[in-house]
Amino acid sequence: MFPRMIAAGWVLLAAPALAQIGNPGNLAPDTAMQDAATPAPHQRNAHDTLSYQLLAAGGMAEVALAQLALDRAGSDELRGFAEMMVRDHSDANQRLAALAEAANVPLPEGPDPEHQAMQERLAGLEGSDFDLAYIRGQITDHQKTVQLLSAEVTGGQDAELQRLAAELLPVVQGHLDSARDIHARLAGISPAVSPAPVARPDPAATPDTAASPAPGASPDPAAASPAPPAAPAAPETP
Amino acid sequence: MPVHRALAPICAALLAGAQPLPAAADPLPPDTTYRPLPVMPPSRARAIDEAQKPAVMARQRELLDSRYDLADRPLPGAMMSGGTKPVQEGVRVRLPDGQDWDSLAAMTPAEIRDGDLLPQGFLPLPHVKQATGGQVFPQNQIDRIAAQEQRDLRRFDVDLDLPDHLTPEFPPPIFLTTQPHLGDVSRGELLTIRNYYEIMNGLVTPVQMEGLRLLLTPFPQEEFNQTEDRKVADPSLGVACLDCHSNFHSNAAFHQTPDVRPQASRFRLDTTSLRGMFNQQIHGSKRSLRSIEDFTEFEQRTAYFNGDHVSATRKGVHLPDRANQVAMMAQMQNIIDFPPAPKLDPFGRLDPTLATEQELAGEAVFMGKGRCAECHNPQTAFMDNQMHDLKLERFYKPGQVHNDMATLPDGPIKTFTLRGIKDSPPYLHDGRLMTLADTVEFFNLVLGTGLSGDEKEALTAYLLTL
Repeated sequence: MFPRMIAAGWVLLAAPALAQIGNPGNLAPDTAMQDAATPAPHQRNAHDTLSYQLLAAGGMAEVALAQLALDRAGSDELRGFAEMMVRDHSDANQRLAALAEAANVPLPEGPDPEHQAMQERLAGLEGSDFDLAYIRGQITDHQKTVQLLSAEVTGGQDAELQRLAAELLPVVQGHLDSARDIHARLAGISPAVSPAPVARPDPAATPDTAASPAPGASPDPAAASPAPPAAPAAPETP
Repeated sequence: MPVHRALAPICAALLAGAQPLPAAADPLPPDTTYRPLPVMPPSRARAIDEAQKPAVMARQRELLDSRYDLADRPLPGAMMSGGTKPVQEGVRVRLPDGQDWDSLAAMTPAEIRDGDLLPQGFLPLPHVKQATGGQVFPQNQIDRIAAQEQRDLRRFDVDLDLPDHLTPEFPPPIFLTTQPHLGDVSRGELLTIRNYYEIMNGLVTPVQMEGLRLLLTPFPQEEFNQTEDRKVADPSLGVACLDCHSNFHSNAAFHQTPDVRPQASRFRLDTTSLRGMFNQQIHGSKRSLRSIEDFTEFEQRTAYFNGDHVSATRKGVHLPDRANQVAMMAQMQNIIDFPPAPKLDPFGRLDPTLATEQELAGEAVFMGKGRCAECHNPQTAFMDNQMHDLKLERFYKPGQVHNDMATLPDGPIKTFTLRGIKDSPPYLHDGRLMTLADTVEFFNLVLGTGLSGDEKEALTAYLLTL
């Protein structure tokens, strides 16, 4: 399931990103400009500084928690997820650290109190209790990260950090979709959900009166796509 | 003693339950929900905004050109209801390389998603400057208000991004439910605070007249106000309801949804027409407010479509009196009729003695195979007063950023009326589709209805009769 998601991330990295253009009212008053319209590289406002801190602390915690999960997780699916967390977040952490060094922003050296507490709580759990607690924590963490990355895209002024946020956003959203999907199975919410993407015709919206399914419509679990199903209708943000 | 023994497990349970609480998380940063105060001196912010404007417009034009064919191609014989602007023809959304509409329609949503094959014009359309957002007016509205009211609706940071031929006619005609025998009562003028009395006296009640006056009165707004947090050159009196809803219709001015945060996730809002307000039971793309009174009052309280009463208060919020002002504004809005549709019978169905074969065939598609009428019910003014989730994210990978907008699932959106729909380009809540033919291809793909070429053309011809 996971290489596909990474590949999607890299495709995005390769695409020429159009310039980020923020609201100049929210630039820091001491911003040095590269030209009349563009802040010089690594100029940042308070939002950027905060994003660096929160993303670094969260990223470190993701790797540490995933390593714990690789040690403890009872479910193979969860171990696969944890491997993806280690791989993707290690990569993102390195890129963030490189940017921070270039921008001369000190980063936190360890996880924040919230993640520390989570780590301690998870360390006391085993088996399915661990699996469920870990994946529930992952859902909340990735929900928050999606919102943080979105906020950086329009709220920051450090173009490189904004580009990184834009590149990571679909990857992290993919993690969240996977975590919700795994949780639904582990918790027995929707055991019948197939890992295959929803195929047309979509029966959820309205009763099918027209009966004209497109060719190739039947879902085939054997040909399951590696990607998780499209997000179900359940609300994912508070 | 027995009591204490009985309490002990409860206390233990409470303690155990309390254990996760000490790790209470820090909230997300405040500017993920609240509008940050600008810190850059306004003269410098404006200079940077003005310097950025060419790049902002070029970036948006590049996105639009990559998604759509924006050419001026009028549909022969099809004019909007005032007779001053032709309807545009043809599908304008560009296809991905190597695909046609039939090949796409034959694929599953997952195949389209995994192959990155969804036509990009079907994706949510970004605001021209997502990070700032706010209301953006078309040049015709800016010019007319400047001439009549000496009020400046021109932003120094952005312009409207769509070409004029893909927007509604201006000024649009006005039809009143109370004066059906008169037809268009606009006299070809744009209603403003200067001329409304002359145009409407004798046509409306005193209550409606007062409502109209308020709907034309400018009040401070997020980008048009007296503070440093504005995008208009001079301190501004603000904007009026009918600055976007020109003559109670739409002039294609756009904004962002008030209902979503953070800023990057706010989707674009194309101004909706107020025609047929009397039949609408829910208001707002996402809020489902239950009366036009609620909508009218709340928009005044939150600086027009920003969902932010905090910022609105700082800029000078208008708090209309519910009984004496809101009710009158609502009563004025509730007498705005749809344009005439002479081929429709009292149930909203085509009169077979007036309609063409193709239009009748289109109605059959609309009611049956195309599944349009399941939400756009003719009997209830081509809507169902519900919100529905089309689940477009089945066809794309959410989270990609286009021009600073995070492309995320829209979730449930209200069903809009289709009466007079030829007058209201662009289409969908965010204006992502330029023509009626685009909407036919969009829904054919999203609903998987498998329409043939003839059926699509018939459906488009039918939509023009509404």
